[in-house]
Amino acid sequence: MSIMQMNGGSVIAMVGKDCVAIASDLRLGNQSLGISSKFEKIFPMTDRVYVGLPGLATDVTTLHQQFRYRLNMYTIKEEREIEPETFAHLVSSTLYEKRFGPYFIEPVIAGLQKTPSGDLKPYIAATDLIGCLNFAKDFVVAGTASDKLFGVAEGLWEPDLEPEDLFETIAQTLLNAVDRDAYSGWGAVVYVLTKDKVIKRELKGRMD
Amino acid sequence: MPDGSFSNPQQRQFNPYSDNGGTILAIAGADFTVIAGDTRQSEGYSIQTRYAPKVFRLTDRAVLAVNGFAADGNMFVKKVKQRLEWYRHAHAKDMPLRAIARLIQTMLYAQRFFPYYVYNILGGIEEDGSGAVYSFDPVGSYEREACRAAGAAQSLVQPFLDNQIYFKNQAAAPNQPHPAHLPLSDVLAIVIDSFTSATERHIEVGDGLEIYVVLAKGRSVQGLEGVRSIQELSTKSDGDRVFVIRRDLKKD
Amino acid sequence: MFLTRSEYDRGVNTFSPEGRLFQVEYAIEAIKLGSTTVGVRTPEGVVLGVEKRVQSPLLESSSIEKIMEIDTHLGCAMSGLTADARTMVDHARVTAQNHAFTYDEPIRVESATQAVCDLALRFGESVHDEEALMSRPFGVALLIAGVDENGPQLFHTDPSGTFVRYEAKAIGSGSEAAQSELQDKWRSQMTLREAHLLTLRVLKQVMEEKLDQHNVQLAQVTPTKGFEILNEVRLKEIIDEM
Repeated sequence: MSIMQMNGGSVIAMVGKDCVAIASDLRLGNQSLGISSKFEKIFPMTDRVYVGLPGLATDVTTLHQQFRYRLNMYTIKEEREIEPETFAHLVSSTLYEKRFGPYFIEPVIAGLQKTPSGDLKPYIAATDLIGCLNFAKDFVVAGTASDKLFGVAEGLWEPDLEPEDLFETIAQTLLNAVDRDAYSGWGAVVYVLTKDKVIKRELKGRMD
Repeated sequence: MPDGSFSNPQQRQFNPYSDNGGTILAIAGADFTVIAGDTRQSEGYSIQTRYAPKVFRLTDRAVLAVNGFAADGNMFVKKVKQRLEWYRHAHAKDMPLRAIARLIQTMLYAQRFFPYYVYNILGGIEEDGSGAVYSFDPVGSYEREACRAAGAAQSLVQPFLDNQIYFKNQAAAPNQPHPAHLPLSDVLAIVIDSFTSATERHIEVGDGLEIYVVLAKGRSVQGLEGVRSIQELSTKSDGDRVFVIRRDLKKD
Repeated sequence: MFLTRSEYDRGVNTFSPEGRLFQVEYAIEAIKLGSTTVGVRTPEGVVLGVEKRVQSPLLESSSIEKIMEIDTHLGCAMSGLTADARTMVDHARVTAQNHAFTYDEPIRVESATQAVCDLALRFGESVHDEEALMSRPFGVALLIAGVDENGPQLFHTDPSGTFVRYEAKAIGSGSEAAQSELQDKWRSQMTLREAHLLTLRVLKQVMEEKLDQHNVQLAQVTPTKGFEILNEVRLKEIIDEM
């Protein structure tokens, strides 16, 4: 049994028109035994940068604290909020520091990036457990249901979705993917980031 | 012995199985069934051929899709066809779909301790004229379903089908329940979307797509009008009818 | 026929110069010694009737079994050496179960009949070193009744392995008189009840004893309820209606 699959859990992020969404399940398990249905894996790093941390549960907590620490140092030194892309590189370098004894997490980053002209551009990225960055134009997935998420997202996603449509798309993708994964599920949570607000919705899904 | 061969024993092994990738899928409608498969055959990272059919017409009302180890799959289809011929001689009729399904179970289970390394999906029209899909595991466990994906991209396609065919995780509008069966044109669109998606994300899926459509006796060809590169394979025009649609998939 | 008896009636595998297999013909003769058995087909189902010869007042007539179930949709009645019929019915039962197991559908009446007849010609001498399975032909004829996708059907088989489909057929000692009576009285659109009555009337005509619910047996195969042997209560009802 791989360490990556020991606790279960999945995360997905998607790009919409002037908005992004990031979503995850709420399961924490010990192999096939379900432990908690309130285990959140998505954390706000700033008002418009969110990170999802699927993988080994102990490393979820550790990495979250690690990122919070490094982010605070960045904010104090730079006297400004971090941009999503910068944060993605922070994640990447943090993970690569442990190249030969990695954290067993594959982070997903979603945020709204300031452009030189001043407006906000959707930004999503994912990395593997040693920090290799993958920034996609459409969607990124990670966790024990990643292959299922890829399949459904590839079928449902389309460009330039409005926030409500993006919510529906990411929610359906996540729910249907985790229903076919024994290690993910037990409820879900979706964040939709727009220019002026962040919507958090907890989803009711199958509890088996 | 002086060469030390007794003190340094060697072991050699032959592995009789391999995995040739690819994906198959079938969806049953009220009075039709669609059975599809890609045509790429690979071993590891090498493509052996871009056109190796995995879907076969058995009778005018039954189509079998076979995925897994290609050599076993081809031999299995050959043996099923032989049994269908014997049945025709003994009983003076084509074998009904549910009988083919049971036959496949007994043939697979007969090899319980040296199995055909294949996942089978049987699609077609039942005696009562309804569309039907039967799916099997390699040793013959089987079940009738409305839809099923199998093979390399099963994990990508099946949850998509759950959502689009069974309307899983979608609440029905008041007084408007979800349809039990979709129209043919919608099913064809879902099949094509499934395979383009699987091709996009899975290295073992691609090259070509063969979609078999079985229509119940007396059903119009509604949903097939204007479909490109379609070919009829039925032997009679007044019974159940079989068509095949061939499409290209990305070759990268 | 018996005047032409010669050494050719010894081996079961040798044709006579006239092209006959005497042992098979003798076997067919043996059936004519058996009790009379009648089968009638109607659009509603098939009826089988047999005479049970109660040779002694001490004999339990209910222990005479001349109608047997092959499958839920198949039954058969026999005349001749009834012990031989066991082998054939056993074979038919196994074949029917095997078919249902392999194909998840009931076997057709003709296929079951064919399977029984395949067995009929397996007599003869051994091949290579193997022991011969059967030394002589079966001495029994069967009326196989059943229902399948082609509706109710009645088949007759004899020791030569030949089988023919009939609308109504009589075999056994009284078969000649019974068959001509059937030819007279059979109509294509009979109800099942009319077939019951016809079967009993034909049996009554050829029986020496007075017919009652103890010395005949009646069975039917219908599309809805399949094969069933009528119990003495139902049998008496029909006899009283005659």
